[in-house]
Amino acid sequence: MARVSIGLTVNGQAVSAEVEPRMTLADFLRDELGLTGTKLGCEHGVCGACTVLIDGAAVRSCLMLAVQAEGADVLTIEGLSHNGLHPVQEAYWEHHGLQCGFCTPGMVLTAYAFLQERPDPSDEEIREALAGNLCRCTGYQNIVVAVRAAAEKLAGAR
Amino acid sequence: MTLQVLPRGKWLGARVKRVEDPRFLTGEAKYLADITLPGTVHVAFVRSPHGHARIRRIDTATAKEMPGVLAVFTADDVAPLPPLASGLPVEGLKPTPQPVLAKEKVRFVGEAIAAVVAESRYLAEDAAEQVTVDYEPLPAVVDAQRAMQPDAPTLHEELGSNIVYQKTTTLGDIEGAFAQADHVFRRRLHTNRFVAAPMETRGCISVYERASGHLTFYSSTQMPHMLRLFLALFLGIPEHKVRVISPEVGGGFGQKMTIYPEEVVVAYLGKVLGRPVKWVEDRRENLAAATHAKEQIIELEAAVRSDGRILGLKARLIGDGGAYSFNTASALIEPLAGAGLIPGVYDIQHYQHEVIAVCTNKSPVGAYRAVGWTAAQTARELFFDEIARELDLDPAELRRRNVISSEQFPYTTCTGMVYDSGTYRESLERALELVGYGELRRRQAELRQQGRYLGVGISLYVEPTAWGSEIALQAGFPFPSHDNATVTIDPSGKVRVAVSVHSHGQGHETTLAQVAAEILGVSIEDVVVEHGDTDRAPWGMGTYASRSAVIGGGMVALAAQEVRQKVLRVASRLLEVAPEDLDIQDGTVFVKGAPDRSLSMFQVAFAAYLDNRTRAEGEEPLLSATKFYDPRATYSNGCIVTVCEVDIETGLVRLDRIVAVEDCGTMLNPMIVEGQVMGAIAQGIGGALYEQITYDESGQLMTDTFVNYLLPGAAEVPPLTIEHLESPSPVTIGGIKGIGEGGLLATPASVAGAVLDALAPFDVHIERLPLTPERIVEAVGHS
Repeated sequence: MARVSIGLTVNGQAVSAEVEPRMTLADFLRDELGLTGTKLGCEHGVCGACTVLIDGAAVRSCLMLAVQAEGADVLTIEGLSHNGLHPVQEAYWEHHGLQCGFCTPGMVLTAYAFLQERPDPSDEEIREALAGNLCRCTGYQNIVVAVRAAAEKLAGAR
Repeated sequence: MTLQVLPRGKWLGARVKRVEDPRFLTGEAKYLADITLPGTVHVAFVRSPHGHARIRRIDTATAKEMPGVLAVFTADDVAPLPPLASGLPVEGLKPTPQPVLAKEKVRFVGEAIAAVVAESRYLAEDAAEQVTVDYEPLPAVVDAQRAMQPDAPTLHEELGSNIVYQKTTTLGDIEGAFAQADHVFRRRLHTNRFVAAPMETRGCISVYERASGHLTFYSSTQMPHMLRLFLALFLGIPEHKVRVISPEVGGGFGQKMTIYPEEVVVAYLGKVLGRPVKWVEDRRENLAAATHAKEQIIELEAAVRSDGRILGLKARLIGDGGAYSFNTASALIEPLAGAGLIPGVYDIQHYQHEVIAVCTNKSPVGAYRAVGWTAAQTARELFFDEIARELDLDPAELRRRNVISSEQFPYTTCTGMVYDSGTYRESLERALELVGYGELRRRQAELRQQGRYLGVGISLYVEPTAWGSEIALQAGFPFPSHDNATVTIDPSGKVRVAVSVHSHGQGHETTLAQVAAEILGVSIEDVVVEHGDTDRAPWGMGTYASRSAVIGGGMVALAAQEVRQKVLRVASRLLEVAPEDLDIQDGTVFVKGAPDRSLSMFQVAFAAYLDNRTRAEGEEPLLSATKFYDPRATYSNGCIVTVCEVDIETGLVRLDRIVAVEDCGTMLNPMIVEGQVMGAIAQGIGGALYEQITYDESGQLMTDTFVNYLLPGAAEVPPLTIEHLESPSPVTIGGIKGIGEGGLLATPASVAGAVLDALAPFDVHIERLPLTPERIVEAVGHS
């Protein structure tokens, strides 16, 4: 299959590559760039494990082709923090907001993007914001608590 | 130090943050799909689109010619591999071995027929589409009761019937109980087929080194050592040349304790092709071909006195086993385990059960959190609610009149379970108090006047935990079940704990380190817990059935205790005092009453390994011990109360809140206990309201994505209140009981009970779960 050249920014670094047009962005990040923190849980856009940020917005990298990311600024879980944990990650840790960890990168990035838009959310808004990310271990309650705590941490840091 | 009571100082019982979390939070954790070895090739399976069909011919020629394709294997190419059968046979269960690739017939949608190996998964899938199979479709049977009829399509013709097990057991004086009854009530419940659906699907990588004949097999499994044993037997590779590595595992819940046909095929492909062979399941495959769970048809009959006392129960449990009973008696696990727990927390000594296991054209059944017990609990609790309504008795009061009281422990059930201790009645009262039960009933009456329907559901449960040999026997599965831990202090004084129980979210790296740190008197930062690699961990059965806290905690405590004695012996020679006069705290060994006479753990350990004078004749330099633990049977308990409101126009259920009072004896880490309870409750909500695997009459799978198989999300789970009661087990090390399953055991009954309580004015009768809006609207319409 003919390959296509793409150029994009991933976690602050310029990346150029030749990819098959049918390759998903998730597979590109994982298999071509080795960024395996992005997980695949359903590959049909429901579970949210593959969530990454594109130009600041949370998107499902399994539903997008790598070629569609041409010129985009992509943030994956690997790029969220370079020294220690980001306050959102810290909050998930402190409040036991993860168990098996598989949904966690998507959950953390979804919460991160949400809190940028809505720095002081109610619990109901948090639950709504997380509605597109499935977790099979935690029952969500500690994740809600963690996101609320992260909001407080981020507010304190401002 | 006796281990009946564990020391509870800085670590044990504390809400210690999980030491494993940072690598998950940063995305550095490596799951199966994240591992890529040089030269890896990828597998795509060709799977049956038919529920039941004869295979006339398979044409692989086109696929084999496609770019990047290395091989296409069908049943004929894997002829040396034996079919999968129950590794541990149960008396009376007819064998229905499953070929690792279908031969002659397919018996469920998703059954693997061929394995295509190519340079990439994309190319493997391209080629898999070009494998053509000529099928002769056969009539299918997807209902267990229909499958029992003599004229039903037969899955395994050689058996002449789809019934693979049928046995009636009478306990106590059942006829006498029914003769004394004022009332006899009956209820039938067909519980839904639902699935573990771990966020990480199954997967494996086979790496075979031809020169040495060594197989390294990576698998997303809950039981690495059991998988090693069976791979060695199936592939004919000596076991000492097989290594199984289970990397990070993204949830299991029982689904990953099965040894699957795909694993055996991939292992074999690696051996034949001489290149690393990788298979990662996609979600459709997971929903179609990983084990299903929890579908039973349960008919109950109760002999009841007019005061609400249940005198006796008759039960008929039909397990819908799917196409093959291929692994650890899988067609039987649901109804057999369920039958044992029908009496549950209630003092009922006269009981008769008939257990039936049936094959149907569906994916085979396997374990899923509270296997068998979820259906049994749901059927009995909903039945008791109905009895209470019939007798015009409060459902809480009916339970009070029948529950086993604390004075009765140890209590032997008519099914042979020995309940060691617990807070059955207390958990009920506390849960009612927390939820504000009296006020809720008043509010319910008020709202009904306004045409609003509030419901309260109570599910009072006992949970067999600590799956060792004794409880396995008591639950009807007479197989040994035990595990090992090795605790070692290295020459520099750091602690390594290697365990055979496997963590796939449960947090063993924290809880088991807490046990070791407490007993050895060191900081948790100086302890590392290793698991999931058969070359590093001692032999054992793995993680399932709420066993790891009890067995893992117990075996680590035993091994750490022995290592502690060794440390004290060495230090006693260095400090010239008796070992009894020494203590260890914060990594320092010191003389009791004279803390300035002390040595660091580094000094003691260094001397133990490298200063021969610290060793008496015959003693070993290693500060290491390996201990096994096979605990006595212990039982956790609790009560889950759900409050909901039902919109009778739309059938929508809004969960208001759920209160869970649980008792798992001594807690290693309450934060982790709560996490287990909350996660299991969410799965139970799914089972009560959303999740169901469905097939049409022809055996076609109708739920093959997360669009049509619905998991609860954050918006569907209401606020949860968890409270702990703590009655330490008198029979296990430290009094620990397990906690893994109670939430899923009891929540479907609690949630469904709340919905049916809300609908009580309509006198609805519902025999099927989940309680979808359609079912609710239909039931209300028919009332």
